[in-house]
Amino acid sequence: MPGSEIGGEEKGVRLVFDGHAIEARPGLSLLQAWIGAGLPLTENVGCLGQGVCGACRVLVRRTGERIAGTALACEVVAEEGMQVAFIDHFPARRPHAYDLEALGDSWSIPEQIDRVFPEARHCRHCSGCDRACPKGIEVQRMVNLAAEGQVFAAAGLFDHCVMCNLCVAACPEHIDPAHLGQFARRMSAALTLRPADLMQRLHEIEGGGQRIDPDAPGAQPPAAPPA
Amino acid sequence: MSGGLPYDEAMRAWAAAAPAPERACPLAVPELLKGFHPDHRPGGLVPLRAGPDAGATVPPELAALLEADSLLEDIDIAGAPILDADVLVLGGGGAGCVAALTAARAGARVLLATKLRMGDGNTVMAEGGIQAAVGAEDSLQRHFEDTLRAGHFAADRALVAALVGDGPDCIRWLIRQGMGFDLTDERQRMGGTLLRRKPGGATAARLLSYRDFTGLEMMRALREAVLLTPGIALLDRHPALELLTDDRGRCGGAALQDLEQGRLVLARAGATILATGGAGRLHLAGFPTSNHYGATADGLVLAYRAGARLREADSFQFHPTGIAWPPHMEGALVSEAARSAGARLVNARGERFVAELAPRDVVASAMLRELAEGRGVVRDGRHGLFLDTPSLEREQPGILSQRLLTLSHLARRAGFDPAREPFLVRPTLHYQNGGVAIDSAGRTALPGLLAAGEVTGGLHGRNRMMGNALLELVAFGRRAGAAAAAGARAERPRNLGLNHLAGWRRGLLAAGLDLGRKAPLLFPPYGNVTAEGLLGRAA
Repeated sequence: MPGSEIGGEEKGVRLVFDGHAIEARPGLSLLQAWIGAGLPLTENVGCLGQGVCGACRVLVRRTGERIAGTALACEVVAEEGMQVAFIDHFPARRPHAYDLEALGDSWSIPEQIDRVFPEARHCRHCSGCDRACPKGIEVQRMVNLAAEGQVFAAAGLFDHCVMCNLCVAACPEHIDPAHLGQFARRMSAALTLRPADLMQRLHEIEGGGQRIDPDAPGAQPPAAPPA
Repeated sequence: MSGGLPYDEAMRAWAAAAPAPERACPLAVPELLKGFHPDHRPGGLVPLRAGPDAGATVPPELAALLEADSLLEDIDIAGAPILDADVLVLGGGGAGCVAALTAARAGARVLLATKLRMGDGNTVMAEGGIQAAVGAEDSLQRHFEDTLRAGHFAADRALVAALVGDGPDCIRWLIRQGMGFDLTDERQRMGGTLLRRKPGGATAARLLSYRDFTGLEMMRALREAVLLTPGIALLDRHPALELLTDDRGRCGGAALQDLEQGRLVLARAGATILATGGAGRLHLAGFPTSNHYGATADGLVLAYRAGARLREADSFQFHPTGIAWPPHMEGALVSEAARSAGARLVNARGERFVAELAPRDVVASAMLRELAEGRGVVRDGRHGLFLDTPSLEREQPGILSQRLLTLSHLARRAGFDPAREPFLVRPTLHYQNGGVAIDSAGRTALPGLLAAGEVTGGLHGRNRMMGNALLELVAFGRRAGAAAAAGARAERPRNLGLNHLAGWRRGLLAAGLDLGRKAPLLFPPYGNVTAEGLLGRAA
């Protein structure tokens, strides 16, 4: 990729990535350092730098630090002495099944959340999910709010979730916070978002209004200029 | 690219003139496009020498793939494990997920195969929004006419009518999947109005959004829906290498490479939906791209070789505002939301040079003209133009931190404060305007093969409007999903194999083409792998 080569005179930063000792030009992201080192890239990659797809999950330990932390490889700049490992996207255990269209009685929302995500009540407040989140989301607070049926508040906290599922990997109670967060968000939209202008337009269309005339003057190309 | 002014000098000119005065553009739009749009550069197009569209022109980078031979021989598929489904969906971005959901809910058993991971595509990266004519002053007719005009009247009218006619119902469908939308007043969730903005080239405010990460909000809902829908089996890391055809020439599935196990599997289906997205990672004419890592035109290659027709495959969209500096973020997108909100484009002399909300091809061409004629800004050897975010913040205090979150995040990662320093931007390869020709049910010319999303052609003519890509993937994902589920029951493939390849190879040889070149590409060259390498062969 453009700009990922190591310049002749410039001193690179040295790091170990998935067991490979590599050298990267200063300022590159971990993902660009991997590419620049000539290593094959067929997974753990998606948007390649925008930080929205959550595919490039890594475990990172810096020199002198005791604890390794999680991050997105496209968002962290390579540093001298780093130890990095990709975290694969293992298939999730998915016991948390629900049908959004079948959530009929909104008076029973707290019970329905509890039925689908029974583990959420067992949060042991270890903050593992908070530490795991590369976006700084208050994951644990979301879990606790959702367990109390505070759907909008929980949904709001998950506004910036990029579905990396690092909180799912971190939770010792198998709460699957990422999916709980999406449950709250999806429920908020599907049960309560009813814009009047949209409903009005749908009503018109379904009543046979708003027909499209393909031969209207505005649908014709401008007359060709005289040769 | 010719010279420009050094960054420090340009910054002084910008600061002295801000907010920048406008300089009239003496060139009419057709001349501007002809002179400066990358589609029209000399040598930018070559005629195809083989296949159903022989004679039509495409960029040389794409021609090299479209005229290549298959990676597979009959012997490769002999004995490969077989997976059966009613509907096979190739691609796990927005269009693929919508198609899979629709087909599964219609009762089809669906296989969803994707090269990377479900959700990792261009959809999740979309920032600006989705068009739907819901405003009282707006109409489906206006959306129809705006789309045709922006595409220079090259689009298929029936497809455009289907697209805009589905718009409002697509928004309702997305809300039912659990996607949120911005409202004019967040407290009015029932009975309020949707927040609408005017996309470039539109005559009405029609762009609906979720903050400036509309695609992420859409993809989160779609991903969860796909994971929770019984009847969809998901195959991550399974790129398609070839379509399977039967002895009547019908498409009956695809040969997939299981990257995890390093083996080929055959997915057999009554109907196959191509939703493989675009081609930005071909870096046409050396341009950087805003596209995701997997956008390598695989779907075009497979469909064309098996007999589908292409249209407007010579037309690409260059998004005006890709990052030009710093080099390690080159090509990343600064959303059109910035210009929608009022940010100006400024050259190295501190002048405005184009109406920022003109259609994207016009704005990009005007920028390339400034660069070509020496009015660009040069920083560390990179050429670009200013996107004046500091003046925007001065005029609308708080807008960067409250509304343009992704933009502010981008500037932080680039190491500067967008309230004090303008972005340095230049056009970046963003979207494939054309693609596989379809009818309004999403059917291609190849029986049994349907297509949806960016891989298709005919909806956008020669230039796509902002907000019509997200609408297209929902509208045509649903149409293709429904048609596939209906057709899959009626037809079963028989004597399935690589039946189309013998004729294809004869055509290549007759045109004097080299059978040694193989496609699809699967990954860009800097991914340090080749498709042949993944198959265990020397490249």
